[in-house]
Amino acid sequence: MRDILLVGAPNSGKSALFNRLTGLKHKVANYPGITIDVGKGHLVSDTNVSLWDFPGTYSLTAVSGEEQVAIDNLRCALNDDREAVIAMVLDATRLEKGLTYCLQVAREAARSKKTFIVLLNMMDIIENDDLELDIAGLQAALGVPVFPVSARTGNGVNTAEQAMVSGEFDLPPWAETPDVLISGSAQQIGDRFSPKGDLLVRRQARLDHWLLGTVSGGIAFVSIMTLFFQAIFTWAAPLMDGVEAVVLSMGGLVASVMPSGMAADFINDAIFGGLGAFLVFVPLVFILTLIIGALEDSGYLARAALICHRPLSYFGLSGKSFVPLLSGVACAIPAIYAARTMSSMQERLLTYVAIPLMPCSARLPVYALLIAILIPDGTFFGGLIGWQGLAMSAIYFFGISTALLVAALVSRLGNDNRRGQPFILELPAYRVPIARPILRSALNRAWHFVRKAGSVIFMVTIGVWILGYFPNGGEDLAGSWLASLGRFIEPVFEPLGLDWRYGVAIIASFLAREVFVGTLGTIFGIENADADPAPLADQIAASGLSAASGVALVVFFTIALQCVSTVALLAREAKSARFAITLMVGYFVLAWIVAWLVFVGSSALLS
Amino acid sequence: MTHVSHSVDAADSRSLWSLSVDERAYVAFVADHDGDNICQRLADMGFLAGRSVTCLVTPGFGAPRVYAVGGSTYSIDKRTAQLIRVVNERPA
Repeated sequence: MRDILLVGAPNSGKSALFNRLTGLKHKVANYPGITIDVGKGHLVSDTNVSLWDFPGTYSLTAVSGEEQVAIDNLRCALNDDREAVIAMVLDATRLEKGLTYCLQVAREAARSKKTFIVLLNMMDIIENDDLELDIAGLQAALGVPVFPVSARTGNGVNTAEQAMVSGEFDLPPWAETPDVLISGSAQQIGDRFSPKGDLLVRRQARLDHWLLGTVSGGIAFVSIMTLFFQAIFTWAAPLMDGVEAVVLSMGGLVASVMPSGMAADFINDAIFGGLGAFLVFVPLVFILTLIIGALEDSGYLARAALICHRPLSYFGLSGKSFVPLLSGVACAIPAIYAARTMSSMQERLLTYVAIPLMPCSARLPVYALLIAILIPDGTFFGGLIGWQGLAMSAIYFFGISTALLVAALVSRLGNDNRRGQPFILELPAYRVPIARPILRSALNRAWHFVRKAGSVIFMVTIGVWILGYFPNGGEDLAGSWLASLGRFIEPVFEPLGLDWRYGVAIIASFLAREVFVGTLGTIFGIENADADPAPLADQIAASGLSAASGVALVVFFTIALQCVSTVALLAREAKSARFAITLMVGYFVLAWIVAWLVFVGSSALLS
Repeated sequence: MTHVSHSVDAADSRSLWSLSVDERAYVAFVADHDGDNICQRLADMGFLAGRSVTCLVTPGFGAPRVYAVGGSTYSIDKRTAQLIRVVNERPA
């Protein structure tokens, strides 16, 4: 029984091979540095064989903390007594890129008496473009077995798998080679065996000329981002309507067969209200992950990072912050993970500062409710533009601007050399996105949301219902435990023109922002407010919420960090609970101050 | 900024950033940047003395430029590109 260790340069297709061999679902994308942890699985064909997927690095010399961890893990595995095969994955279309690392690891494998083979990936591109690659010659030059494979099509993978499981090979002939000769040999082998001509580079450059051109690149970027945001709202809407219809009909069905009383109230309001509170967001999370996955896989996201580098640098950030910030529009959790690809810890911390301010999908139902209360449902320009849609765009713009301004302020207060951080990003080849892994990743993300966020929202909704139902059996909300709690914290939110009901909803939403709408729905006695906020909006409007308070609430939610999962992950990733708690408290104070200023200003304007 | 040892004099070389679109040159050396491993990372990526490098795209507004080296394509900002010194003829 032996272990198989998949290693190689970033974006060489290790995770795609890992998924094909294990049947697992590691995130793969056409973006360098997407694998951030060592992954483990078992071969589908032989579950006794463990397969390890190592993060990509360019050499055995680390330039970031994550690379150091990956290299240390690899050295541990090499020094382990277990029988292991080191499988170096090389990108056949960019052979030179991984050869120095290949020979370095081959040398270490030889010294540790480990079997070493090369998996020459992306052979489908070589074959489709009729490029010549002398595999026998490359094998002779490297002195190790070379197996041509394609993780995309699966060609050659079975042969390579059999060799990894049961093949017996000589140790690599590099055990005594000094560093300087490793580097020179890699260069010579690369020059000799890389696919001849620059067809692939030229083809990519033709597209880059257009997509990165001064004018055309800007137009393409704005068009793609517009499409991205449009897709979030228009494509997800029918799916969200479908979920809403199912939850409502299920609630109605159960209510029709149950006798009235506490049990019926609990099932109607707490159970179905709780389910609706998070299930309605599942299509949104799915669509967002799907689009970001398609952009990543096409190779465009790396170009977008390049385009954004200069503008982001004015705010102390870099182009590498773009992907985390864009992911933050979906959810802060994947955004925080995405920041791991940044080698500079300072740059990463600043990105962490900005991510919670990005208008994540959890804020969407809060905005939708408040817009429905504050803005009339009219259109202009012949029905092309709606006032409510315009208000939503303005809120998004405000959120993104706040994120950038806070990052700029923090970077200047930090007085560090962040503006001087080097920007080097490998641009992956353009390719047509493959539907299956992207769909699988989107489904995984949606399922993760149901399991993690869903359970929190569900429990909070039930907790709020219990607090509101007792001790008087739901007869009088003003006499409930919930009202007592609300009156206790009322002085905090009174200066914003908000009474105890909003205070309770805001406090509950610190667990997850989405809880705000469901909590208000429970307080105002509206069932399934998450699925259909219109009746709740009418009820709130009728209850006398002033326009100034409504705007203050929008501002508060744009800034406040109300998500325990985000705070917990920030503490872990920044390796500092103090950093995460400072952000949470700081954003609460900032949100309150800005909301109060907006409330006072709006009140003066509207009076 | 300190310089690593190299056979080409700094005065005979120019910065990678000076390349225009489709212009090819050869890496002379990479100037070490104080306080980080940028020189090492560039070497790992293929920016080694004698290696040919081509400028592929120069987006406007000071955005990072796109260079091809060793079959790979990299986007590099001005500050980093200025660390990479190139010459027109392949160094001996």
